[in-house]
Amino acid sequence: MAEVHLIGQLLGASGFSQRRLFCKWGLHAGGAWKLLGGLREGQTQVDDPQADDMAHWCHPLDVHFATKGLQGWPRLHLQVWHQDSLGRTELLGYGFCHVPSSPGCHALSCVTWRPRGSGVTQRLRHRLLGGGPQLRAPDLIYAGADRFRLRTEAAGTVHVELGVLLRHFGRYGVQC
Amino acid sequence: MEPVGLPPVPSTSRMGFSELSVRERMREKLKAARSKAEATLSQEDLGPRPRHLKSIRERKAELRLDKGSGDQLGELQRDESLLSSKIKFSDSVKKLKQKSQAQSDYPSAEEAYNFFTLNFDPEPESIKAGARKRSELNEEEAEEYVETHEEEQEEDETDEDAHLVKDADLFIMGQTDEDFLVTKPAECERYSEQLQKEKEFLFIPSMQTVPTSQKMPENMQPRYLEDEGLYAEERPFVSPSNQNILENRILRQEKGKEWFGDDGRILALPNPIKQSSTRPPVFSLEEGIAPELETIYRKAIRTTAANQYLIGPGDFQGPFQLDIDISGLIFTHHPCFSREHVLAAKLAQLYDQYLARKQKNLTELLTDKLRALRNAVQCSMDSAAASGPTAQQSIPEYKIEIRQTRRLRDAEQEKDRMLLKSIIKVWKQMKSLREFQKFTNTPMKLYLRKEEVDQRSDEKAYEAEIQAEINELQEEYMEEYEKKMEEYKTELQEWKSWKKAQKSKKKKKKDLREEESVEDYDVGEEPVKPVPPKMVDSLEIEQQVREKANNFRRKPGEPALIPELVLSGSITPSEQCPRAEVLRREDVNKRSAFIKVFFNSKEVSRTVTRPLSSDFRVHFGQIFNLQIFNWPESLKLQIYETTGMSSTTLLAEVFIPVPETTVLTGSAPMEEIEFSSNQRVMLDHEGVGSDVSFSFEADGSNQMTLMTSGKVSNSVSWAVGEKGIPLVPPVSQQNTGIPSALKNIDAIASIGTSGLTDMKKLAKWAAETKLDPNDPNNAALMQMIMVASSGEAHVPDFFRLEQLQQEFNFVSDEEFNRSKRFRLLQLRNEEVAEFRNYKQVPLHEREISEKLFQEYEKRLHERDVIDSKHYLDARRAVVANYLQKVRESVINRFLIAKHHFLLSDLVNEEEIPTLGILGLGLFKLAEPKRPLKPRRKERKKVTAQSLSDGDIKLLVNIIRAYDIPVRKPVTSKLQQPSKSSRSFNEMFAASPSAQSPTNNVDWAFDQVLVRPFVEVSFQRTVCRTTTAEGPNPNWNEELEFPFRAPNGDYSTHSLQSVKDEVFINVFDEVLHDVTEDDRDRGSGIHTRIERRWLGCVKIPFTTIYFQARIDGTFKVNIPPVLLGYSKEKNLGIERGYDSVRNLSEGSYITLFITIEPQLIPGESVREKMNEMLKKFDTQEDEKLLQAAEKYEAECTSKFPSRQCLTTVIDLSGKTVFITRYIKPLNPPQELLDALPNSSQTTAELVARYVALIPFLPDSVSFAGICDLWCTSDQFLDLLAGDEEEHAVLLCNYFLGMGKKAWLIIGNAIPEGQTAYVLTLEQSQYVIWNPSTGCFYRQYDTFCPLQSVYCLISCDNIWFNIQQWDSPVRISFDISKPKLWKPFFSRSLPYPGLCSVQPEELVYQHSDKAAAVELQGRIEKILKEKIMEWRPRHLTRWNRYCTSTLRNFLPLLEQNQGKDVEDDHQAELQKQLGDYRVSGFPIHMPFSEVRPLVEAVHSTGVHTIDVSNVEFALAVYVHPYPQNVLSTWIYVASLVRNR
Repeated sequence: MAEVHLIGQLLGASGFSQRRLFCKWGLHAGGAWKLLGGLREGQTQVDDPQADDMAHWCHPLDVHFATKGLQGWPRLHLQVWHQDSLGRTELLGYGFCHVPSSPGCHALSCVTWRPRGSGVTQRLRHRLLGGGPQLRAPDLIYAGADRFRLRTEAAGTVHVELGVLLRHFGRYGVQC
Repeated sequence: MEPVGLPPVPSTSRMGFSELSVRERMREKLKAARSKAEATLSQEDLGPRPRHLKSIRERKAELRLDKGSGDQLGELQRDESLLSSKIKFSDSVKKLKQKSQAQSDYPSAEEAYNFFTLNFDPEPESIKAGARKRSELNEEEAEEYVETHEEEQEEDETDEDAHLVKDADLFIMGQTDEDFLVTKPAECERYSEQLQKEKEFLFIPSMQTVPTSQKMPENMQPRYLEDEGLYAEERPFVSPSNQNILENRILRQEKGKEWFGDDGRILALPNPIKQSSTRPPVFSLEEGIAPELETIYRKAIRTTAANQYLIGPGDFQGPFQLDIDISGLIFTHHPCFSREHVLAAKLAQLYDQYLARKQKNLTELLTDKLRALRNAVQCSMDSAAASGPTAQQSIPEYKIEIRQTRRLRDAEQEKDRMLLKSIIKVWKQMKSLREFQKFTNTPMKLYLRKEEVDQRSDEKAYEAEIQAEINELQEEYMEEYEKKMEEYKTELQEWKSWKKAQKSKKKKKKDLREEESVEDYDVGEEPVKPVPPKMVDSLEIEQQVREKANNFRRKPGEPALIPELVLSGSITPSEQCPRAEVLRREDVNKRSAFIKVFFNSKEVSRTVTRPLSSDFRVHFGQIFNLQIFNWPESLKLQIYETTGMSSTTLLAEVFIPVPETTVLTGSAPMEEIEFSSNQRVMLDHEGVGSDVSFSFEADGSNQMTLMTSGKVSNSVSWAVGEKGIPLVPPVSQQNTGIPSALKNIDAIASIGTSGLTDMKKLAKWAAETKLDPNDPNNAALMQMIMVASSGEAHVPDFFRLEQLQQEFNFVSDEEFNRSKRFRLLQLRNEEVAEFRNYKQVPLHEREISEKLFQEYEKRLHERDVIDSKHYLDARRAVVANYLQKVRESVINRFLIAKHHFLLSDLVNEEEIPTLGILGLGLFKLAEPKRPLKPRRKERKKVTAQSLSDGDIKLLVNIIRAYDIPVRKPVTSKLQQPSKSSRSFNEMFAASPSAQSPTNNVDWAFDQVLVRPFVEVSFQRTVCRTTTAEGPNPNWNEELEFPFRAPNGDYSTHSLQSVKDEVFINVFDEVLHDVTEDDRDRGSGIHTRIERRWLGCVKIPFTTIYFQARIDGTFKVNIPPVLLGYSKEKNLGIERGYDSVRNLSEGSYITLFITIEPQLIPGESVREKMNEMLKKFDTQEDEKLLQAAEKYEAECTSKFPSRQCLTTVIDLSGKTVFITRYIKPLNPPQELLDALPNSSQTTAELVARYVALIPFLPDSVSFAGICDLWCTSDQFLDLLAGDEEEHAVLLCNYFLGMGKKAWLIIGNAIPEGQTAYVLTLEQSQYVIWNPSTGCFYRQYDTFCPLQSVYCLISCDNIWFNIQQWDSPVRISFDISKPKLWKPFFSRSLPYPGLCSVQPEELVYQHSDKAAAVELQGRIEKILKEKIMEWRPRHLTRWNRYCTSTLRNFLPLLEQNQGKDVEDDHQAELQKQLGDYRVSGFPIHMPFSEVRPLVEAVHSTGVHTIDVSNVEFALAVYVHPYPQNVLSTWIYVASLVRNR
C-alpha cells in the first residue's frame, strides 16, 4: 500500500564522444509494483548542443507507483543514442541506476558503458562507418548477473534529477 | 635581475603622480605641518613601512650591484643635487624613498632584525625629532634621518648618495633600459662541491651485508624455524641489495632491531601473490558464451520506422524476404459443379486416400510384423528347453506384442476394405448418373484391375492364418481364465477364512454376552462368495474369428482388386448436351478467379485473374517476393471469384502459416491449404450451387448440402539472398507468446513452432542438442518434457514468478486491490471516460467516496444487461446498447490515434513571409485612410489548451423575428376552416390572393397585439430580451453566456463532444388584471405577468463551435396548435414581401451567434483521423480509391471550402465508395397505400416517415472523429442516425418511388456540413430536408441549405464547379460538365459497383398494443415530472380536458399537424367554455424519454402559478412500420374564467 512518486527529469548527458544525443529510458520495477500514473518509458528528443559538450534534454519523469513490498525497487535504465548527420542512429551507452530509496531530491549521475567490438575489424568498422555492437537482450542492462563476460568500454554520464516522494512506508516498518 | 632603483610599492604610488602633484602635495603637507605643531604620524609611517615590504632575498643582489656602479656616478650627482631648489625639492621626495631602499640594503636578516628592534627602541626621541624636523624642512630631515641610522656604515653613505642622484636622473632626464640591466652567465655549482655539501646532511646506507650478530639482540643465536621442522611461509622476493640497504638503514634507527625476527631476517608476511590468477582471462569469445550475453555488430542504419513507435534497439538488419508461391487453385466443390462433378470430386478424394494408404501399406507391414513375432515365439519355444529361463521370460512379452499388432492389423484391414468398397460404390453411382443424363462432364474413369491369385495356396494361407489366430486367442483366453481362476481361489480363501472368523466371533460373543462391551467389530460389507470364472468355448472363438475375417479380408481365391483412376474419358461436347448443361458450361467459362495476398492484414499483391477451367482448376503459378521488415504476424490469401465482367465476390480467406525459419526457397514443399465458403449460391442451370441441398436419388431422399470449397496449392518460404544467406528475421523478433525459457535456446528455430506441442519431438530435440538438464535455464523445459513423457510427475497447480514475494508483502493482494485511491489514480491514468479529467485525487482513502465508482461499475456491469427503464421500449434499449458498444470501440481506436503526434502538433513553425505578402503589407500602408468605412478585423483565434473556466463566452444576438403568432380575442367567432390540401403546384404558384383570407378584416382593427420576448438558455444560464410589441418585433439585443466545458477540459476533443444546446424560446408576455375589487381600479394597478410559450429554436453547441459563427434566419419551431393564438394574416402593407413570407408559413427569427474568443475547431485531429482511416480495411478496388483520391484532391484544390465526398466509412470501419449507398428501395407499403393517387402527398408522407426516425448526430457521439455511414437497413434497425442516414434513406425511397433523386452534400444552417435530398418534380428542383421532412423550392429564400458542394446518385458523383454554391444561384443541370464535374466520365467509366444496400427492405408491422402501452407510460412519467417541477403548488389535473385532448391528438397525427387548429379551437371552446385554456401539442419522434421531458419542461407550462390553475396532459403515440413512433404530447393549463 506504500506509494512512491518519482518526479524529476533527465537533465542531460556529458562526456560522450558524439554530440547529437538522445536517450531512451525506462523504469523497471518488480511484480509487486503497480503503476498508478505516468509513463514507464520514453524517449527524449535529440539534442545537439551548440555551446558546450553537455547535451541537455530536461525530459520530465513523473511516475507514480504503488507497491505491496520492497522487492523489485524501481530501477531506471537508460540507453544513450546518437543520431548522426545522415539521420542514422547508433548506440552510445547503456546505463542504469536504482531510484534512490530516501525521500527528497537527488541528483544522480548514471555512468554508462557500451559493449566493445570483439575484433579489430569490428572496432575499425565502428570507427569508420559507425554502428557497433548492441545487446541482443536489452534487459541485460539491469538484470545481468553474469555480465562480467562482456567486454565493454566506458561511455559518458547521464545526469538525472529525481525527486522521490514516499508514502506509508513507515506504516509497514520501513524507515526512510 | 631587477633594476637597482626600483622603488617599493607605496612610493611608486606616489611616484605615479606627476611631479607637480607630488610637490603640491608636499607643500600642502608642509603647510599642514606648520599649522600644527605636532606632526601627524601618517607622514612618519610612510618611512618605515616600505622597509617591511622589502624582501630579504633581494638584498644581496642589490648590494652587489650598487657597489659596482654607484661610485662614479655618486660625485656627479652630488654636485647636481645643489643645483636648484626645484630639483632639490623633488630630490627630497626621492630621498625619502631612497632612504628606504638604502636602508634595505642591509646584508643579513640579523641586521635587519636589529634594525627594527634595537634602533627604534633606544632612540625613540630621534624619530620624534626627525619627525619634527621634517615638518620644518623636509629634505634636511630626511638626510639627517638617514645619517642617524647609518652611522656605522660609511660606505653606505656614498652608496646612498649615488642612489639619490641616480634616481633623480631617472625621473628628470630619462635613461634607457641598458642602464638597469646586466647580463650574467648562468650560475652553477660544481658537482664535487655539491657532493661535499650533500655529504653533510645525507645518509647513504651501504649495500654491504649486515652481519647477523648486529641484527640480533646480544647473546642470542639466530634460530631457523625451517630447520626446526616448522612450516615457514614463503617470503616475497626482494633483491639482496635492496634488502641490505634496508637492513642497514633500519639498524641506524632507534629500536631498529625490533624489525628483525628470530632468524635475523626482516620480519615479513608470506608472499601474497598466488600462483594462478583468480580471474581467468576470457579467451573463448566465440564459443561458450551465453546467448543472451552475445553482442552483435550492427551497422548504423537509417531507422525507417523511427517516427512511428518507440522501437527497441533496432533489431532488423535490412529487409527480409518472404517468397509466396501461389501455384494454383483446385475447387473440391464449386457452385457450378454438376452432379457428376460432385461425384467425381468424391471419387478423386477417395482415390487419393486409397493411394496414400497404399503408399504407407500399413496392413502389409503389420502382417509381416505379426509373422515375424510368431516366428520368434516359435523359435524361443523350441529353444526354451535348451537355453533356460531368459528366453522363457521374453515369451509373454512377445505374446502381448502379437496381440496388439494383430488388433492394429485388423483395424487397418477393415479400413482398407471399407475404402475399396466406397470407391466402387461411388464409381457405380457415377456410371449410373452418366447413363441417366446421357452425357459426361468429367474425364474420370475407374478401372479395377484384378490380380489373380493361386486359389489353393491362398486358401491354405487363409486357413493357416485363421488357425493361428484361433490358437492365439485360445491361449489368451486360457491365460485370462487362469488368472481369473487364481483370483477366484484367493478370494475364495479369504472368504472362507472370514466366514470362519465370523463363526468364532459369534461363538465368542455368546460366551461373553454378559460383559456386553460395545465392541466395534466391523459391520463392514460381508464378502460375497466369489463365483468361479467360466471357460470360453473354443467353437465360439473360431466363429468369431471367421466372421471377422469374412468381413475384413479378401475371401480366399478371390482376385485382389486394385482400383485405378484415369482421366482418359471423353467429355461430351457441348452441342450434344441438354440446354441446362450448356448453360452451366457457359457459366463456368465466364468465371475466373484471382487471389489477393495479405501480409499482416494489409494487401500486398494479387495474382492475375485467370479463368476457371472446365475441371475447376485455376493455374496461377506466380511467385510473390515480399520484402519485409518485421516478423510476419499473419499471412492471408483472399480468393476472389469474378463472374463475367462485373461482380467480384470474396470466396474465402485462407491463413497461411508463417514458415519456420528453416524453410528456405528451393527446398520448400508445395502445400495445399483447404478453404471453404459458406456463401449461398443458387444457380438456374445444371450447377448444384453452394449451400443448396440436392440429391442424387430420384425421390429426393438422402439430400446433401455442399459448400464451396477447394484447395490452394502454395508454398511460403524465406528467400535466400546473395551468398546464400537466408533473409530471415532473427527469431528474437517473434518473441510474442513464446515462453522465455525457450526463447534463448531457440527450440522453435530447430523444430518449428508446431513442435512445441509435440512432446515427443521436443524430447527428441532436447536429447539431440544435449540440453543440460541441470542448467536452471532449462529447468522448465526439462520438467515439461519429463511430465509429458512419464505422465505421472507432480504438476503444481500454481505458477509463481517471484517465489518469495508473498512472504515479504506489506499487504495482501486483496487489500492492495481494494484501495480506492489507487484505483482512482489508475483509472484516471488509463483515461477511462468517467475519470479522464478528474482533477485532484484525495490523499486519504477515507476522502474518496464509494459513490465515485458506482457509475463506472454500473456501466461495466450493465454493459450487456439491457435496461428498458430508460427507453420504455426493449428494442430501443437493445439498439442503444449496441450503439454504445460501437461508439466505445471507435473511441478506443481513436484514443490511441490521439496519442500519435505529428510534428506539426508539437512544433509551431510559422511560415516565413514571402516577398509578395510583404509587398501587400507595404501597399496597405500607402492606402488612403477611410475612417468612415469600417473594416472587418480578424478576430484572434485561441487554441483550446490555454483556456479555463470563464474564458469563453457565447454571444447570442437576437435581431428580429417575423410573423409571430398573435393572440386571438377570446370572444372571436368560429372561423371558417380553410382546409387546403397543398400541392407542389400550389406552393410554387405562390398566389397570395388564394391564401389571404378575406373574412377577418373585421377583427383586424381591434386585435390584441402580441408582446413577444425571447429567452435564451444555455447550460442552465437563462437570459431574456426586453419585451417588444407586435408580430414582427425587433430586439437587436446581445445576450452573453459563460461557457463551461465538461469537466473543465478545454481540449479540442472535449469541446467537440459538448452536447449542450442553445435553447431560444419565444414567449408572449401577457398581462392579467388581477385587481380583485373594482373600487381599487381607479387608485391602483394590480396585474400579473404571465408568459406563454410560442415556439423555440434549438442550436447545438457543436454547430457553433465548428462554424465559428451562426448568422441567419431560422424557422421557429411552433407547435401546430397554439391555443389562443393565430397566425397574423397579412394585412397587405408590404405586399411584395408578404408573398414570400406566406409561402414559408411560419415564424422566423434572425440570430447571430458566436463564441468569444474564437476557438479553433480541431481540424488537425480530423486530418489525422483521415490518415488513420486510410489504414482501415477496404474492399474497394485500389484503382478506384486512387481515382477517388485524385478527384478529391483536384476538387479541393480548386474550391478549398467545398467538401468533396467520395468514400465514407461504414459501421464496421471499412472504406466504402459513396455511390454504393444509393439504390432504389421500397418505402413501407402502408405509406404508399395511404393515398394511392396523389404522388406528392405520398412523397411528403415518406419524408415525414424518414424524419420521424430519431436524430442522433454521430459527430457528437464520435466527437468529431469520423462519420460512420449506416446502410438503410442498419439505419432502420438502429432507428437512430444523423443527416446522412436520413438523407440516404429518403433518397433511396424517392428513387424507389420512381422519382429522380440525388443526394446533396452541402452546408446548411444550423446543422453545418450536412446531406440533403434533391428531387426533380415537374421540371422543378425540390430540396428536401431529410431530418425535418420539410421541402423547399430551389429559389426559396428560407431554405436552410446554404451551399451545395456535390451531388451523388447511384452511379456517379458530381462536384459543383460553378462560381457560386448557394442553391439559389446555381444550376442543378448535371449534364453540363462545365458546371458539374463528374467522377465517372468517359475516361473512367462506371465499373458497375454493386450496392451495399439490401435487395429490399423488410418492415415489421407496427405494434399497436405496444404503442398504447408506451403511451400510458409516457403520460404517467410526464405527469409525475410536472408535479415534481411544482414543489410548492398543488397540481390539479383536469380529466375532462385531458380526455378531450386525447381524442384530438390522433386527428393531429392524421393531418400531420396541419390545418386543424380552428376546428380544435372551436371544439375546446364548446366543451370548456368557462376556462381560459393555453397550451399546445408538441410533436416529436420517439427515441427516449429524456428528450420528451426536456421538451415539456422547456415550454414552461408548469411555471404558471395562479392558484386555481388546472392542467391537462395527453400523450398519443402513433406507430409506423419498423417501430418508428410518432409521439404527440398535449400540455395545457386551464384557468377558470370568473
